[in-house]
Amino acid sequence: MSAVDVITAAEAPLPSGRWRIIRTVAVKEWLDIYRDARFRWLAALTLLLMACAIVFGVQQVQRIDRDRAAAAQEDRQVWTSQSAKDPHAAAHFGQYAFKPQSPLALADPGVNAYVGTAVWLEAHKQNEVQFRPARDSGVSARLGNLSLAFVLQTVMPLLVILLGFAAFSGERERGTLRQLLSLGARPLDLLAGKALAVTGVLAILLLPVLIGVVIACLLLVDDTQLSLSDQLARLGWLTLGYALYLGGIAALALAVSAFSKSSRAALVGLLAFWLINCFLVPRLMTDLVRTALPLPTALEFREAIAEDKKKDFGHDETHPAFIAFREQVLRDYGVNRVEDLPVNFRGLSLRKSDEIGYGIYDKHFGGLQDDYARQDRWRAVPGFLLPFLAIQPYSMGLAGSDTRGHYHFATTAEQHRRLVQTMISEDLIRNGRYGDSSYVAGPELWERIPAFSYRSPEAGWVLSAQARNLFTLAIWCAAASLLAVFAVRRLRPV
Amino acid sequence: MLEARALTKIYQGAPALDKLDLQVPGGEVFCLLGPNGAGKTTTVNLFLNFITPTSGQALVCGVDAAAAPLAARHLLAYIPETVMLYGNLTGVENLEYFSTLSTGRRRGRQELMALLREAGLQEEAANRRVAGYSKGMRQKVGIAIALAKDAKALLLDEPTSGLDPLAANEFARLIEDLRRRNMAVLMVTHDLFLAKQCGTRVGIMQRGRLAAVFNTDDTDHLGLERAYLDISRQAVAA
Repeated sequence: MSAVDVITAAEAPLPSGRWRIIRTVAVKEWLDIYRDARFRWLAALTLLLMACAIVFGVQQVQRIDRDRAAAAQEDRQVWTSQSAKDPHAAAHFGQYAFKPQSPLALADPGVNAYVGTAVWLEAHKQNEVQFRPARDSGVSARLGNLSLAFVLQTVMPLLVILLGFAAFSGERERGTLRQLLSLGARPLDLLAGKALAVTGVLAILLLPVLIGVVIACLLLVDDTQLSLSDQLARLGWLTLGYALYLGGIAALALAVSAFSKSSRAALVGLLAFWLINCFLVPRLMTDLVRTALPLPTALEFREAIAEDKKKDFGHDETHPAFIAFREQVLRDYGVNRVEDLPVNFRGLSLRKSDEIGYGIYDKHFGGLQDDYARQDRWRAVPGFLLPFLAIQPYSMGLAGSDTRGHYHFATTAEQHRRLVQTMISEDLIRNGRYGDSSYVAGPELWERIPAFSYRSPEAGWVLSAQARNLFTLAIWCAAASLLAVFAVRRLRPV
Repeated sequence: MLEARALTKIYQGAPALDKLDLQVPGGEVFCLLGPNGAGKTTTVNLFLNFITPTSGQALVCGVDAAAAPLAARHLLAYIPETVMLYGNLTGVENLEYFSTLSTGRRRGRQELMALLREAGLQEEAANRRVAGYSKGMRQKVGIAIALAKDAKALLLDEPTSGLDPLAANEFARLIEDLRRRNMAVLMVTHDLFLAKQCGTRVGIMQRGRLAAVFNTDDTDHLGLERAYLDISRQAVAA
């Protein structure tokens, strides 16, 4: 055999041979991990944490759904059992719109505890969503709850780091790296095998969790609010996001291990990354965007609305806008007095007042949501280096527990309020007589006004907003993988 | 065959190996003797391309170790002072792992046990975790890895250091077996007795140069010791 033949044969073994080597490395790593009692305990503890998070999450979602359904039914009963009264008085009487929870909120409750669960729908006014669970939970809620998202975003990265930090540095310290490299083993094959081992262990740990969440979705899904297929599609996208997040951390752990002279140095470096990624920078970025892009205070927000609402006449018949509207109506109908109108002028003026208010509320609430979205976008910018900043909003978005999902509910509730106002005003326009306050509507109208129902937006709507975070996670995973490849190409036994 | 052609390694201006010319054909055991820092382990590391030469070439069966390190390593087996294995795996599992990595081929258990037996490891020991192995048992697994690899050349770096005389003698017998299989063996050692017992030729290095080469058939232990001491003293005096 010539030297050239030798080189060709040795440098390019059959693909099946390389795959066998990669698989052999992975199997050996699995065996090593399996025989390590410390890891078995750690894995069992992590699984227990995730199981508890699912069980607690299911219980919480079930309790909230139960309470919400009971409250909604009671509220509807109160609304439909009103006595005969002036329809506009009924509009002021008002009703609640209750926010349903996505089953996936059991995995990631997001901002649900801080944004309220019901909105009061009344005449003339768009209210903010109220009844925040965090307010009723006392001090313990401030410390945070155990959720699957918390375990996946902060505990699992730690487990990945513990699995990967000694992958190469440990071999170097034990002297086995020298042995391995002397065999002619390709560093890239070693990397692929070790990456397969770490991701395989993660898959083994996360598969029961995924099955648990699917079962929970099957138990909790309500077809009137969202479809099971949509929840499963969201779960699929969530799985992809977490795979990129944890895969990137695994690649980083292997890269740092290959670069480091000792396992101790690798562990210290990776723990520093974990602390910065999961705890320090998310808080720092929140403060930075809050300072750079401040939101109005609740008082400023209400005052700004109140200022604009001065343009709306409401019940004030001396308001210039009211007088102008009355003149316009008289011209439109070709009469000189409101008594001569074929329709009820009070109903018309109430409808007009509402329409003026809609524009004002859209401007302010829409502006506030835009401000939230802008803050979220800027906060996630360093996500390709510190992926917690990308996975956190991505996870909340797909679980339906982020501010955008909440705003979707609040907007739908406001549309319902507007529908109620319009139906009531139109009833008054058709049936009332100007100056005669004796007209009252009865249960037929209260029944005719539909109960509030809310259907969560589909996965595509969420993805349209989360594509940027998904892309950031993909960049993170690819960059960490390239770093690992670069590190093992420079691999030396000492 | 192992060949060094004007092989040189310089660290921060100081030559660790200075234009080494050496040929070890198949069926020969070449023992490198010399004081610490003479360049023996540097030579081994250059054949493995764990370090890159400043100039010259280290060839394994004609393959330049620096230009095609993977190809060169595929032709080599390497046994260091202590063969490092995975303590959580048994002897046979370690052999299976290393042999699959070196050849890309998976061997059956019977075949692996036969290789371990050939290297002198008891079957009972082969099924125990390596964490409890003595150094001699680890070296036997190292030999089994070399056998499994069907290597053309073997590099040994002080392989009997710390072994008891019985284990060292058994190891020497295994080296002789490998030589008979036409393997080219380059062994770095401080053990003059082992060098005389196993070696076909013995080279004494000092300050990165091969100062003298002897055929072991032409010299006795005493002569070898005298030459080693003279060269070492010259190095100290210089």
